Amino acid sequence: MRIGIPRSLLYYYYYPLWRVFFAELGAQVVLSSPSTKGILAAGLKHAVDEVCLPVKMFYGHVLDLVGQVDMIFLPRIVSVEKREYICPKFLGLPDMIRCLKDLPPLIEVDINLYKNNRDFYRAVKNIGSIFTKNHLAIGRACFKALQAQKKYFRLLNMGLMPAEALALVEGRTGDKSQRKKERLNIALLGHPYNVYDPYISMDIIDRLHKMGVGVTTAEHVPDKITRSYAARLPKKLFWTLGNRMIGAAFHYLEQPGISGMVHLAAFGCGPDSMTGGIIERYAHSSGIPFLSLTLDEHTGEAGIMTRLEAFLDMVQWRKAAFSS
Amino acid sequence: MKGYIGIDVGSVSINIIFIDDGGVVVEAIYLRTQGQPITMVQKGLKELHGRLPKGSKIRGVGTTGSGRNLAGIIVGADAIKNEITAHAIATSQVVPGVQTILEIGGQDSKIIILRNGVVTDFAMNTVCAAGTGSFLDQQAARLNISIDQFGKIALGSKSAVRIAGRCAVFAESDMIHKQQMGCGLPDILAGLCEALVRNYLNNVGKGKEILPPVVFQGGVAANVGMIKAFERALELPIKVPPYYNVMGAVGAALLARESAAKRGYSLFKGFGISDMRYKTGSFECTGCSNLCEVVQVTEDGGVIARWGDRCGKWSNAVREEKIS
Repeated sequence: MRIGIPRSLLYYYYYPLWRVFFAELGAQVVLSSPSTKGILAAGLKHAVDEVCLPVKMFYGHVLDLVGQVDMIFLPRIVSVEKREYICPKFLGLPDMIRCLKDLPPLIEVDINLYKNNRDFYRAVKNIGSIFTKNHLAIGRACFKALQAQKKYFRLLNMGLMPAEALALVEGRTGDKSQRKKERLNIALLGHPYNVYDPYISMDIIDRLHKMGVGVTTAEHVPDKITRSYAARLPKKLFWTLGNRMIGAAFHYLEQPGISGMVHLAAFGCGPDSMTGGIIERYAHSSGIPFLSLTLDEHTGEAGIMTRLEAFLDMVQWRKAAFSS
Repeated sequence: MKGYIGIDVGSVSINIIFIDDGGVVVEAIYLRTQGQPITMVQKGLKELHGRLPKGSKIRGVGTTGSGRNLAGIIVGADAIKNEITAHAIATSQVVPGVQTILEIGGQDSKIIILRNGVVTDFAMNTVCAAGTGSFLDQQAARLNISIDQFGKIALGSKSAVRIAGRCAVFAESDMIHKQQMGCGLPDILAGLCEALVRNYLNNVGKGKEILPPVVFQGGVAANVGMIKAFERALELPIKVPPYYNVMGAVGAALLARESAAKRGYSLFKGFGISDMRYKTGSFECTGCSNLCEVVQVTEDGGVIARWGDRCGKWSNAVREEKIS
C-alpha cells in the first residue's frame, strides 16, 4: 500500500517517525514534491481564504499526492506536549482538507498529548491496525520509529538543517555540506514550516549562507534548554512551537557569538504576532539587532532582500563600532 | 569637474545627483518614474551630462532604491546598496550627530535609529503601503488640488478633523464622509496629515526610541503639513535637510566614492548609455514546476543580465557568456 505524506507543516518535525513506522509495517511512503509555485497555486485555488500561507501550501501538497497514493496520512494533531497546544489551524486541518474533491481515503487519527503521553500509543495502535492485526509488530514498528525520531532531533540539536539531518537518518549521503565557520552568525527564528521550506522562506537560509553569514535556528537548541529559558516568561505560552521559539531566542540573546536575530512570520499568523512581539522586546532590551520579516504570497523578492541586506549592514556596522 | 553620480530608482521618482570630491551636491535631478525606470534613468543621465561643465570626469556611480540592480547593470555601478544604508550614510554626513531619521517615500516608509553615528535599529513598513507618498498623491488628485499646494492648505487649518489612518481605503472613505458633512478642506487635509503621522509612529516607529536631532526626508518631507504634524506628535523640532528628496541618491554617491577608491577605477559605462537601446522583458521558464518569471535585460540586442530564476540556470548562463 502507498501512503502519502505531504511535505509541509509538521513534516519538518515528525517525518522520520512516520516514515519508519509505515515502512516497518510494509507500506510504501510517498512524499509530495518540494514546494513550488505550481503547488502553491493549486493550494491557493482550493484553500479557505483566511488561513495562513503555510496552510495554503499544505493544500497544494495534498493535491500533489492525489493519484500517486492509496491513502493520505493526515492526523489531527491537537497537542504534542503536556499542557500545551499546536496552532488551532492544525486542529481543523483534516476537516478543511476533507472538503477537497476526489481525494483518496485519509488516515485521520487524533493525537492529543495535552493530558499525558499515553494518547500517542493509542493513536499508533489505531493507525497500525490498518495494516496488521499483530500488536507485537505494531509495537516493534513504533519502537523503531521513535528511535529514528530521536536520532533526527539529536542531529538537529547538533546544528544540522532538516534536509541534512533527514538524509543522515535515512542513510542517504551526498547532501553532506561542509559548512565553514562564519565570522558573522545570526539566529533565524520562526515556525519550522516557514523557515525550512525554501519556497515559502524565499530561500533565506541559502541566501544568508551565500552572503557569508552563519545561520542557527530554534531547532539547534536542545529541548531542555529552550524549556528552561522559556520558563522565564511570567506566563507560559499556549503553543509548543511558540515556546520553543521564545526559549531559543532567550538562549541566543545570551550567546556572544550571535550578532543578530531575524524573526520570520507568516502574514496573518496569530501566534507569530505574539511570539514575534515578545522576542522583539527582549532583543531590544538586550541590545541585539532584531529584524522581523513577514511572508505572504508575493514572489517579488526585492522587499525581503532590501530588509535583509540593510539588516546585515547594520549588524556589521555595529560590530565594527563596538570592537574599535 | 570631478565627482560621483548617485542614482535612486524608487517606485514614484528617480533621483540622480552629482557630488564633487568633497561630497557637496552640485546637481540634483528629480524625475517621475512613470513606470519606465530605464528610460527615465537614461533621460536623467542625459540631462545631467548637459548640465555638467565640459570635460567633467565621473569617478564613480552608485545606485540604490528598489530598482537598484536594474539601474546598476545599465550604468555600470561601483556600488549597489539598499536604500536604508544609503539614507543613513547620507544623513549622517549632512546632519552630523543625527539620532533619528524619518523617511517617507512613494511606496516605502522607514525609520532609522542611529547612535554615535552607527545604525542601531531600523524598520520599514510591512506588506501594506498605506500612508506613503502615493496615497497623498492620489488624494490630492481626488480633491483636485496640486500636491505642491497640499501642505500649505493644511497649514491653514484651525482644528484638524479626526481621520482613520489605519488603512488607506478606510482613510479615504472617512475623508469623504467628513467632506460630505461640511468640514473645510484645510481641516480635512490637516486631519489626513495627522492620521498618517499617527499610523507611521504606530506601525513603523513602534517601540523605537525617537531622540533628537530628528531628520525628516523623502519626497513627503516637501509637505509642510506633514512636518507640522510630526512636530506636534513628537513634541520635538524636525529638521528637513536641503536635499531631502534625493538623500538616497546622495548616499549611493558617497558609497560609490568609497568603493571606487578601493577599486582604483570606476565601472561607469559613460554617458553614451543614454543613446543605447535597452529592452526588458520577462518570460516564464518551464524547466520545472517552479515556473519562475525570468527577467532579462538586453543592450542593443545583446543580453546583459537575467534574474528571477531560483535555480540560477538563466542568470548563470549570462555570466558564462561574459567570461568566454
